[in-house]
Amino acid sequence: MSGTPLHPYTPLALAGAVTALAVLLPAPAGPVVLLGLVIAAVAGAGPRGAFRDAAPVVAPIWLFLLILHGLLGDGAPIPALGLTWRADGLRTALGQGARLGAIILASTAVLRGFRPAAFLDAAAARGRPLGPALLVVATIEAIPRLRRRAASILAAQRVRGLSVAGSPVRRLRALVPLGLPLLLGAIAEADDRALTCAARGLDGTARRTALEPPADRPTDRILRALALAAVVAALAWRLLGRPPA
Amino acid sequence: MSARILALVPLAVALNVVIGQLTAALGLPVFLDTIGTVLATGLAGPAVGITTGLVSQAVAALQIGQHMLAFAPIQVLIALVAWAAAGAGGFRSLPRAVGWGLLTGLVAGVPSAVISYYVFQGVTSPGPTAVTTLLVGLGLSRAEAVGVASVGLDLLDKAITFALVGAALRGLPRRLAARFPRGAAAAGR
Repeated sequence: MSGTPLHPYTPLALAGAVTALAVLLPAPAGPVVLLGLVIAAVAGAGPRGAFRDAAPVVAPIWLFLLILHGLLGDGAPIPALGLTWRADGLRTALGQGARLGAIILASTAVLRGFRPAAFLDAAAARGRPLGPALLVVATIEAIPRLRRRAASILAAQRVRGLSVAGSPVRRLRALVPLGLPLLLGAIAEADDRALTCAARGLDGTARRTALEPPADRPTDRILRALALAAVVAALAWRLLGRPPA
Repeated sequence: MSARILALVPLAVALNVVIGQLTAALGLPVFLDTIGTVLATGLAGPAVGITTGLVSQAVAALQIGQHMLAFAPIQVLIALVAWAAAGAGGFRSLPRAVGWGLLTGLVAGVPSAVISYYVFQGVTSPGPTAVTTLLVGLGLSRAEAVGVASVGLDLLDKAITFALVGAALRGLPRRLAARFPRGAAAAGR
């Protein structure tokens, strides 16, 4: 997020609320309005790069929803753009597309602004065991490392003459010289890191003192309370079949 | 939570995410996105495998969207079947590993299809969705198409996953085999 960073739990809570609302609000109107709000929030106060991150995930989903439901779905035929669309299918595609669009954009915005060290400090400041938070943070840091290793294995095997083209069987066979070094390398690294963790007394159960605990400002608390209230109201609406008084 | 788990789980989850890079380079219609879950289960037991699966979905929720959490139970199912496979020596040879992979594909594919159909209206990741769309275009109902695409691709995906994990466990250097005795036993060493 731009400006003063929010408490690490606040964006996660907001993204969780978006997911719950996307599921609870009646489609297509509810998810469409929600998507509009998420787009406005990210454009106004979030990391703009989230749009770039979300686009390659959302675009194929929208395309397939249009084909599978809009063209091959049910309902009255609607001729447009030289094709015959289906009314009910288009409604389904619109609702589901907006639902997933809102969830994905909210998640990519959270990831863009995610600060692993602040997240760990926030868990420590609340006196929570660090294990689960440490697992998520260590994983996020391990992914680019392993990605680089996969790319270098691919390049090295190609230099040794491995062909990654040809028939499906041939390409399937090529998976062994590519995948096996990655797996064995990961196991060896896990063993080395286990020794390092043990030497540092890191077992995820010990309570840690946060060096720089992130501030939990009134803005954070208000945003989290509003998110919770919106989810509770939407849930009540769904359960009672009418808007809460 | 032991230091070994803290070290193994992040790398196993990273394997789940990164292996897709290699299958994409080879143009294969599989994801192998549970390979770390199966490997962690084989090496360290069901609790570590389930933790790997759940953290994988939590990371996918962060990276792709929180809707990915809907598939968290599938990761648990896969870890449980992999645990049964490890106990029964399912990684001892290629044919056994492929057999257990096919069983896992069936066990995971059916509930996966149900989630894809009811929660995602049949539209999930591009690979299975392209097959679903093709099958609907050929005249199958949407439910049938989602079922056939999901189970069919899962059978292939899990057979390859188990074959690769079996090869890794059988090929563990002696030092690592001593560190991960469960993995060595699962491979019949």
